[in-house]
Amino acid sequence: MHSDLNIAGTQSTPAIQSDWSAGRLAMQGDSYPENSYELFGQVIDWVDAYLADGPAPLRLDLTLVYLNTSSVKAMMDIFDLLEDAHERGQDVAVDWRYDPRNERIAELAEEFREDCSFPFVIAPTQAPT
Amino acid sequence: MADDSDLLGHVEALLAIDEYRDHPLYPVLEQLYRHHQGQQKRLERLLSIADGYQQFSRDEMLETQQQYARQLQRERKLSRISDRYQELMRDNNRELHTASTHDPLTGLANRRMLADRLKLAGQRSRREGLAFSVAMLDVDHFKHINDRHGHEVGDRILVEMASLMGQTLRAGDLCGRWGGEEFLLLLNDCTLDQAQALVERLFSRLRQLRVTAGDTQVTVTVSAGIAQFRPTENEQDTVNRADRALLAAKRGGRDRYRLAE
Repeated sequence: MHSDLNIAGTQSTPAIQSDWSAGRLAMQGDSYPENSYELFGQVIDWVDAYLADGPAPLRLDLTLVYLNTSSVKAMMDIFDLLEDAHERGQDVAVDWRYDPRNERIAELAEEFREDCSFPFVIAPTQAPT
Repeated sequence: MADDSDLLGHVEALLAIDEYRDHPLYPVLEQLYRHHQGQQKRLERLLSIADGYQQFSRDEMLETQQQYARQLQRERKLSRISDRYQELMRDNNRELHTASTHDPLTGLANRRMLADRLKLAGQRSRREGLAFSVAMLDVDHFKHINDRHGHEVGDRILVEMASLMGQTLRAGDLCGRWGGEEFLLLLNDCTLDQAQALVERLFSRLRQLRVTAGDTQVTVTVSAGIAQFRPTENEQDTVNRADRALLAAKRGGRDRYRLAE
């Protein structure tokens, strides 16, 4: 078992939580970190380890808003890992939520989804009641 | 090679005939035949190894080409997504900038933008000696209109006035919302006389404005104070003088303008 991530978000970095036993990784917020390799390196390591030894299907819950170039690259790397795992027959899925007031984020999520053949849902967050 | 195999077949047939065995050339021919067979095998092996290497390097080249194509596709995707995020950020910035410099109801410049532009006008006037004037406009009895017809009608009047003023002013002028029902006109390259003519034209158009409220047509009148910038004062002083002239116009019975002292 790999130790879980629980990183608080800042104005320029997303909040990140992982749950090994539930097979869940979640990220929320903006991402334009000063050192994206440091931040996403640990996320990629966790995903890698989970796909190798994890007990259950893996699900990513994303509510990401603004991403800078290195964050876009990191997300593409993560989706590539999921795609490879999917091709090996592993159960992986992405659930990308966006603020319905900002449809352009959904269009960007669609760009990410383009080369992914695993389940990848893009849906608006529930409107606050 | 066809000739070769004919020849070899012939040799093999000769070597198979027992009565030739004692011939002095027989062992030499046999040795030559075996040697040739050995050489042939070696040649075939050599060719197959060389072919293998060729196949290997061809596979490797194809693999590299495929990797390169994949990488290129990835790079393109990365740039495309990244560019779109950047565009999104730029548009958001632009919207924020507009929101911070404009009045959301009328779409006119807000007080912040007016203050910036007044400052620029003052600097330019001092530097280039160009005249500019300001006019402070206030809707007469606006509170009364709001109380009688509701805020929604009051808001609509302000919006209609804003659009009418936009049509009446010249391209270089700026009209902004100074406060509730107060508008400030910044008239560039404009003396007091020219400003007066412009305000008169504006007044006559504003008198024709009709806003529907239920079964009635609401009309408005406005009061105004006009002041020309003096290079010895700061821009706020000019605005204050226009404001005092506006007050005089109000006291003088409204629906009129006064020129600042």
